[in-house]
Amino acid sequence: MKGKLEPSERQKLIEEGKNLKEGLVTLEEDLLKLTDELQKEAQSIPNMTHPDVPVGGEDASTLRNMVGEPRKFSFPIKDHAQLGKDLDLFDFDAAAEISGSKFYYLKNEAVLLEMGLVNWAVSEVMKRGFTPLTTPEIVRSSVVEKCGFQPRGTNTQVYSIEGGDQCLIGTAEIPLGGIHMDSILLESSLPLKYVAFSHCFRTEAGAAGTATRGLYRVHQFSKVEMFVLCRPEESDSFHQELIEIEESLYSSLGLHFKTLDMASEDLGAPAYRKFDVEAWMPGLERYGEISSASNCTDYQSRRLGIRFRPESSSSSPRKGKGNSAPTQFVHTLNATACAVPRMIICLLENYQQEDGSVIIPEILRPFMGGLHVISYKYK
Amino acid sequence: MKGKLEPSERQKLIEEGKNLKEGLVTLEEDLLKLTDELQKEAQSIPNMTHPDVPVGGEDASTLRKMVGEPRKFSFPIKDHAQLGKDLDLFDFDAAAEVSGSKFYYLKNEAVLLEMGLVNWTVSEVMKRGFTPLTTPEIVRSSVVEKCGFQPRGTNTQVYSIEGGDQCLIGTAEIPLGGIHMDSILLESSLPLKYVAFSHCFRTEAGAAGIATRGLYRVHQFSKVEMFVLCRPEESDSFHQELIEIEESLYSSLGLHFKTLDMASEDLGAPAYRKFDVEAWMPGLERYGEISSASNCTDYQSRRLGIRFRPESSSSSPRKGKGNSAPTQFVHTLNATACAVPRMIICLLENYQQEDGSVIIPEILRPFMGGLHVISYKYK
Repeated sequence: MKGKLEPSERQKLIEEGKNLKEGLVTLEEDLLKLTDELQKEAQSIPNMTHPDVPVGGEDASTLRNMVGEPRKFSFPIKDHAQLGKDLDLFDFDAAAEISGSKFYYLKNEAVLLEMGLVNWAVSEVMKRGFTPLTTPEIVRSSVVEKCGFQPRGTNTQVYSIEGGDQCLIGTAEIPLGGIHMDSILLESSLPLKYVAFSHCFRTEAGAAGTATRGLYRVHQFSKVEMFVLCRPEESDSFHQELIEIEESLYSSLGLHFKTLDMASEDLGAPAYRKFDVEAWMPGLERYGEISSASNCTDYQSRRLGIRFRPESSSSSPRKGKGNSAPTQFVHTLNATACAVPRMIICLLENYQQEDGSVIIPEILRPFMGGLHVISYKYK
Repeated sequence: MKGKLEPSERQKLIEEGKNLKEGLVTLEEDLLKLTDELQKEAQSIPNMTHPDVPVGGEDASTLRKMVGEPRKFSFPIKDHAQLGKDLDLFDFDAAAEVSGSKFYYLKNEAVLLEMGLVNWTVSEVMKRGFTPLTTPEIVRSSVVEKCGFQPRGTNTQVYSIEGGDQCLIGTAEIPLGGIHMDSILLESSLPLKYVAFSHCFRTEAGAAGIATRGLYRVHQFSKVEMFVLCRPEESDSFHQELIEIEESLYSSLGLHFKTLDMASEDLGAPAYRKFDVEAWMPGLERYGEISSASNCTDYQSRRLGIRFRPESSSSSPRKGKGNSAPTQFVHTLNATACAVPRMIICLLENYQQEDGSVIIPEILRPFMGGLHVISYKYK
């Protein structure tokens, strides 16, 4: 309205304009606040679940695969903690003094076993087209959250660093998820397959119960982790590929194990579907989890902002112009190739001999300088 | 005085007794407070210094040994950060997003290089009679202090964990010193020689200046550390042994380096004498520290409470009776066998070729699956 206005009418409109401006500021603040709350609520919604996943608690998990059978021993056997003591492989007592319970030193051949397991696992997974990495073990807490973990929850598994917003990683999955944070990947670069070696730190707050002696549940351990970023339609098949790699690794070590399709209550927030491998630990007289393979579909990628641009099917070769399809979120998967302490338990307990020594599986020997057997040391 | 007392006199004595008791409590509190203060003051006194140590600042350090000479290049050379970029060996940018500056991912052959360096170093040092170990990387802050570090000082190098008195180690020297904390060792068990592989975490607060690009100064790295506990009269000769092991390792890698006898101002509180090795880094156009070997005499053992009982020279074979000599403090020494990022800098910069590839030193190849050269990857 560009005509001349009466002064009073003009003043009225100016007032109205001012009120609208102030009202706008308040509304914008409200909008920000509500958007944050909405984001927070949305983030607490767990992922969808694969239709084949059994519904229920731990007992509802179904068996996918069973490999080997429990070894029959002709002599009374020891658990790994006793073997470790007799063969001078661990020190829990000194570690309890300097660090607290659930910490340990590895000694002598156990060190060679850790290095051999890591080297072997990394080289085996590299053969299958995975890019090897080492990762930061201190990360921003926001990255931890975006992967689906709760750094500040009660009974959190996450150690926080004083004086800032940094945390220790509980698994390399976190820094691996973070690599392509807030990125748009080319479809042609997918899938991205990483294998990472890192140390992992877990508070194990609230962890009670069986098998707390020895290496079964510890605050710090070495792990080789596999991580895949792929197109949504491929995540089911990559989930198969990951579990097959794990089963192949554990078979080559001669372990007896079962693969479970975990029931819905065990999935945690990020997982669409989860396969766990439990290996037979004769000294502990039970099956113990040695790995986990999860398909997180787009749960993590939504939070981490990892997208890809599908190549448009039109034949136009114009790069970078507005001819491209809208971006989509990638799917992410993660799987344990080798969690060293659980593997040490399996190898010590399964390969123990009547004379108290432990045989090294053939496949590991080249990675341990040819060592065949761990035997008593004479002092 | 057991005779009968007058009631008033008795009352007086009872009063006096009460006053004495109360006075005693106050005095005992004062004693405790003063003992703590005395302990604190005493702890801040640095170690003695070896008479041969040059007096003064950095410039006063003297040259003990020079091995090799700078390689002459017939082409323009790159620094390790550029080589890492061109050969897809590191990612600093993603790490800056996920964790912050001075963090990094190692990729591809750099991972094999780290694993190869660690495996080779541990096996070489084991051949010289050192017991291999892995250590906790989270320790009580009291142990950090007893080793001579200041977890709570301004510009502290030490990361603290929230919610307790735990810290991250900046070197395996700390958990190694802690193994025999508050112990009395048999003289016959000395020397104790350990070689430990661990990750190390340093805040690098207050670290400014040159060479902050790339791997030279980072918050997290892998290190192989040597640690010796011995009788006091042997520490000088073990200091020689440690520096000779280091020089032998770096020579086998074909590095050009110099060994320095560090001047008094550079010793820090615990060291009686310190030898640093600085290797030639052609891309950085300077010598850079790759290791440090310190003789801490009894500085750490006094604080950690590590003693030994000298075997008595009398011919009496009575075990465990009061015939033993009084205990003495052991001497402790620590030396870097391999600090991985600095070694990666040296190897990349010294072994680069005109075509941009990097040759792997022969001695490492068996530990890297036979890999000869790091070359361009075609994508």
